[in-house]
Amino acid sequence: MDKHAFTRPQTTLSTYLHDTDLYWKDMTIPMPPTSYVTDLVYTPPDGGWGWVVVVASFISIGFAFSFPKSLTIYFKEIQEHFIISYSEIAWVSSIMMATTYAGGPVSSVLVNRYGSRAVVIIGGLMVSAAMITASFATSVMHLFICVGVIGGFGLAFNLQPSLTITAKYFFVKRPIANGLAMAGSPVLLSVLAPLNQFLFDNFGWRGSFLILGGVLLHCCVAGSLMRPIKIKPAVKKPTHQSVTEVDVTHQTAETINRQGCVEKVNRFIDLSIFKHRGFLIYLVGNVVMLFGFFAPIVFLVPYAEQHGIDEHDAVLLLSIFSLADTVACPGTGFIASTGWIRPNIQYFFSFAVACNGVCHLTCSLLSGYVGLVVYTIIFGLTCGMVGALKFEVLMDLVGAHQFSSTVGLVTVIECIPVLLGPPIFGLLVDIFKDYKFIHFTSGGMLLTSGVFLFIMNYYNYRQLENKEKASKKELQISSANELPAREEANDKEAAVNMRSEEATYST
Amino acid sequence: MPRLARTQQSCWDAPLFSMANVIHIIFLLLYCDTIHSETTSLPELNPVITIRKDLSRGQSHVKVIEEPAVLSPQTIELLCNLSDIPNNPPSVTGYWTKDGQEIENSKETVNRNNDQYIFKKTIQAADVGNYSCVFRENDAQVTFVFDVPVMKDKRDKPIVSYTGDTVALKCTLKHIPKTWSWYKVNNTEKDLINVTASPLKYNIIIHKNVTKLSVLNLTEADAGVYICSAEFDIKPIESQVELRVLSFLEPLKPFLVIVVEVIVLVTLILVWEKCKTRQDHNTATTENDVYPEQTSKLTHSDSNGMETTTRQRKLEQ
Repeated sequence: MDKHAFTRPQTTLSTYLHDTDLYWKDMTIPMPPTSYVTDLVYTPPDGGWGWVVVVASFISIGFAFSFPKSLTIYFKEIQEHFIISYSEIAWVSSIMMATTYAGGPVSSVLVNRYGSRAVVIIGGLMVSAAMITASFATSVMHLFICVGVIGGFGLAFNLQPSLTITAKYFFVKRPIANGLAMAGSPVLLSVLAPLNQFLFDNFGWRGSFLILGGVLLHCCVAGSLMRPIKIKPAVKKPTHQSVTEVDVTHQTAETINRQGCVEKVNRFIDLSIFKHRGFLIYLVGNVVMLFGFFAPIVFLVPYAEQHGIDEHDAVLLLSIFSLADTVACPGTGFIASTGWIRPNIQYFFSFAVACNGVCHLTCSLLSGYVGLVVYTIIFGLTCGMVGALKFEVLMDLVGAHQFSSTVGLVTVIECIPVLLGPPIFGLLVDIFKDYKFIHFTSGGMLLTSGVFLFIMNYYNYRQLENKEKASKKELQISSANELPAREEANDKEAAVNMRSEEATYST
Repeated sequence: MPRLARTQQSCWDAPLFSMANVIHIIFLLLYCDTIHSETTSLPELNPVITIRKDLSRGQSHVKVIEEPAVLSPQTIELLCNLSDIPNNPPSVTGYWTKDGQEIENSKETVNRNNDQYIFKKTIQAADVGNYSCVFRENDAQVTFVFDVPVMKDKRDKPIVSYTGDTVALKCTLKHIPKTWSWYKVNNTEKDLINVTASPLKYNIIIHKNVTKLSVLNLTEADAGVYICSAEFDIKPIESQVELRVLSFLEPLKPFLVIVVEVIVLVTLILVWEKCKTRQDHNTATTENDVYPEQTSKLTHSDSNGMETTTRQRKLEQ
């Protein structure tokens, strides 16, 4: 979204949208070659069934993010059963998270082809089947493949379509919708954790996996709620385009259904999104941020225990963190949808990331249980802010139409810092034997990332403004050049007419 | 260390002194440990371990908690040293209690010795308990708490497993016992588990202070309480864990309930949607006329503007 479309931040939402209306009236809007006619002309409902879709996304996204983390309760028992070390069993969680992120492009392709609903239902069936098969596992490798790979792909098929369909259903209220949907992660984590404990106490790990397979089927319920937006291919009145172009688009619309996969795969391998400056900025900022994002959460409990807090109180810290996260996600969404913040949402995101960094750098210096609680609350709030805005700014950058493909690429690249971050930090803790190092490093990385995003977005918007001004001038010049040529042509015509008249008169 | 300071705080009035005393005791214990390790090579000698505690003015009740694990038969001498009694009488009387009960014939008159009154008691390691020396004069007392070592990572909840599966039961201890043995409780009777008798069923792994009992090919009969016993010279330390064996039908029931619920929900949602679209279709022949109008309006709409601006920007770049 062009920032200069919102140069007057004091105006309300409706007035500045009206202004953009006027702004673009004069420009010719060329038809992109590989457009999906169905997505082109429609108004996102911004409500109605959209809120049901938000609930469905809440469930899907919640399972996708929180399920790998909640499995850690079973690890001790499984470790005893298969006689392996803790680091080996911890791979199950890591593989599941990695596959959830890495499966992004695959799920993008499928969403573009079949729509969100089918993909989410398939994803739910996959992850459920994975857990049921895992309950009969006879070796750790079975767990890696079933839970890790298949389960991970199933969750990837849940995560990405949920985000896509939220983007399709909302525009004006999209930040709120995103905030509410992303709140699913902490809420479901706080539900799954005691549920898993209860299941484990009563059924052991095998029975729990079987029952969890059933619980995960609720992703299919969420998928069935994701009604696709019914848009008829618009019969275009050729206002700005020639008739031939319209025919071409109709033809391409038909051939798209036939060429299907090849077309989309070509779009993917095309990777033209990497020429998009805003997207590159977002990507670099996010990769740096994610390196330092998860490590403090992972090491929160050991950090607290190192400060002499007993295990029960330390686990309570995690609940406090989840609660703060739950509150911050929709709250940030609400703030981001206000007239003042919405045009500057890129800056708001960089501010949130920087806040997170500052929180680690300063609040981790607080000591005592109260200090730790304060740190956890602020940490939870800033995490919620970042989480709510993370996909919203991407939608803002590339638009809902391209979001589906782009988010797949983003998650694949983000998979690397998500995986490597905590183990690297763990290694550093083992070397330096102090958790303060983690806080300073991750705080530094987050702050750097936030500042980078802020500066680079400002630069990006400046560049875009300059470009617009330049292209506007060109148009004016070209129309100005046309005038004398046209006048000349008119004169010539008039002269020819006069001569022909003279000729007729003379004869 | 901080934990020790906290609990001692709750008992005493003089925090500074308590810290110093703890350090004092720990040094004594370390010293005692070294004596212990030195003398294990000569089993015929009966080493005496002396544990001494000093009471001074202002202290009425001192509780010593950190005690060495009593592992082998030896004689332990407990010393209570009382000093700084007002009026400095020539002798004081005191007695010993064990677990709160006064020991018979333990009343003694202690004579002053350079402003100190030393009260001694000799006990055998086998008679572990909480010993206190009590002085009548100012009701000062010192309690020596002899703690037997406890098992680490005790499980209160039963371990759940399934028929045909294998389960591993584990016991850990801080100190290394002479040997470990496993028992199964059978109607209040302990049956020793013999690995050689049934090698297909049981497997015991012993590795210093950790022991694991693997029960293979579980059946319903294997459910019950298992006791791991760490053998020491004086008496064994035991810990128990309960094993529950379930058949696979047990978790299957809630699973099937959830599956049925999901199927019902999905069917309801899809059927409702179909009904609604059929309704809309029937009532909305006029909508088809409305829609093209809407599209022309929509070309001016904000979303279209936004979408195409981003796309345009993308093309430009």
